[in-house]
Amino acid sequence: MTLPAFSLVRPQTVAEALRVLQEAAPGQAKIVAGGTDLIPNLQMKLYAPQLVVDIKGIVALRGIEWSPRQGLQIGALTTLAELEHAPVVREQFPVLAEAVAAVAGPLQRNMGTIGGNLCLETRCLWYNQSEFWRRALGGCLKLPMPNPHAALSRTICHVAPGGKFCWAVWSGDSAPALLTLDAEVEIAGPRGRVRRPLRDFYKNDGMDRIALGPDELLTAVHVPAHAAGRRGTYRKLRIRNSIDYPLAGVAVTMEVDREGICRAARVAIAAVNPAPLLVPQAETLLVGKKASPELIEEVARATTRTGKPLTTSVSTPEYRREMLRVFTRRALQTCWHNPGRAEHEHNSGD
Amino acid sequence: MEKILLQLRVNGETRQVAVPPNKLLLDVLREDLGLTGSKRGCDDSSCGCCAVLIDGTPMLSCVALAASYVGAEILTVEGLAPPGELHPVQEGFAVSGGAQCGYCTPGFLITTKALLDRNPHPTLEEIREALSSNLCRCTGYMQIYESVRLALERWAQAPRAAGARPSAAEGRD
Repeated sequence: MTLPAFSLVRPQTVAEALRVLQEAAPGQAKIVAGGTDLIPNLQMKLYAPQLVVDIKGIVALRGIEWSPRQGLQIGALTTLAELEHAPVVREQFPVLAEAVAAVAGPLQRNMGTIGGNLCLETRCLWYNQSEFWRRALGGCLKLPMPNPHAALSRTICHVAPGGKFCWAVWSGDSAPALLTLDAEVEIAGPRGRVRRPLRDFYKNDGMDRIALGPDELLTAVHVPAHAAGRRGTYRKLRIRNSIDYPLAGVAVTMEVDREGICRAARVAIAAVNPAPLLVPQAETLLVGKKASPELIEEVARATTRTGKPLTTSVSTPEYRREMLRVFTRRALQTCWHNPGRAEHEHNSGD
Repeated sequence: MEKILLQLRVNGETRQVAVPPNKLLLDVLREDLGLTGSKRGCDDSSCGCCAVLIDGTPMLSCVALAASYVGAEILTVEGLAPPGELHPVQEGFAVSGGAQCGYCTPGFLITTKALLDRNPHPTLEEIREALSSNLCRCTGYMQIYESVRLALERWAQAPRAAGARPSAAEGRD
């Protein structure tokens, strides 16, 4: 298959990339790094940009830095494979190591970057299809393709007919993990670099997914030092145990004291809403309490209230909602009863 | 569309091609360089048939723009061993029936070579994990895992010969 025609630029510095983005016509430039999301989307003709900006050559955006005071800084071009195998990530941030190891398969992780994984296009059964397939249907709200021969004369959302909102789901694995670690994203733009909480980066709208302007570039992810050593785990629902995008994902982190009392907790979910989301009640419900089946079930139910799975994928909303509950229960049990690697080493040392 | 001139390093040789900037590495390999070993399967990065080594790391050439890999060392299945010879990984697959229809085989050979270069003594679990981006629709994978194990044995029996044997990449320079 042939990709739509475009010009390609390969900037070597962030400043050069920003200049290219600023000079491009609005909405006419697409950024590519690993290519595992953008190229298939171009194949499907989901976009037709005039310009593709390949940022892989920007050496300053590579690599992981860790200091017990500053926390973890991950350059946007760090591959998912590099993150998955980094000893500091495995030891201090196990939820992130598990989540990135669950992305697609090893070859995709050799290409895909953390920046790209956080900026993934939202996905929907009715959107991620070939041009031919979509044209036959007349397109959808997110990408109308008016066609006089289509069964429907006007463009509708096939997930929620009559609605004006796009429910395409945010289908990444690393973001829920990073949300449970209170991560921030660093964004470079015409007015310099700013840091924003990751939770404010997602707009929960299938058509307008992230708070990143057309002249901005995501340059790094920061995980604060206070999140290091937290117990954590990630659970992912998918059809095959490799390659697939998540149909539902649950990340949990927790701090538990010697008496078994929860001192901090976060629960985040993905692939069931147009954004990865923290479960707002989880912290209040868990902090200061000891583990009990009733409490764990209560948090699991709160998770299913945050998740709004609809018919955006091949499995049913009912199944995905139920698996949110099951995964939350299992993840909480794992965190509560198993000290993390860093914690274990610390305790055995005193 | 206007073409651009690219110099690519493929199987140890510098190859010059004039291609449009939207041309995929897989298509440049197959159409411009005549290296049809790498296969187009899913065309959207979910089957592993198009795997090639880029600076020693297995990647999917169906989601790689050729122009993005100027300056990288690209190794395709054709470069695993000199013409007329077999790499131990190829021997393993040939003897143990790791190829049935053969379409996915180049991708499996490339991914297996990368695994053995990195980890010469993988466990079955490590083999399964390393090959989990490659789909085979014929064998059910058992013969493939057996092929990898046989390749491991042959690799281990003649480590010096296998290591010292010039790959096509080194041999042509």
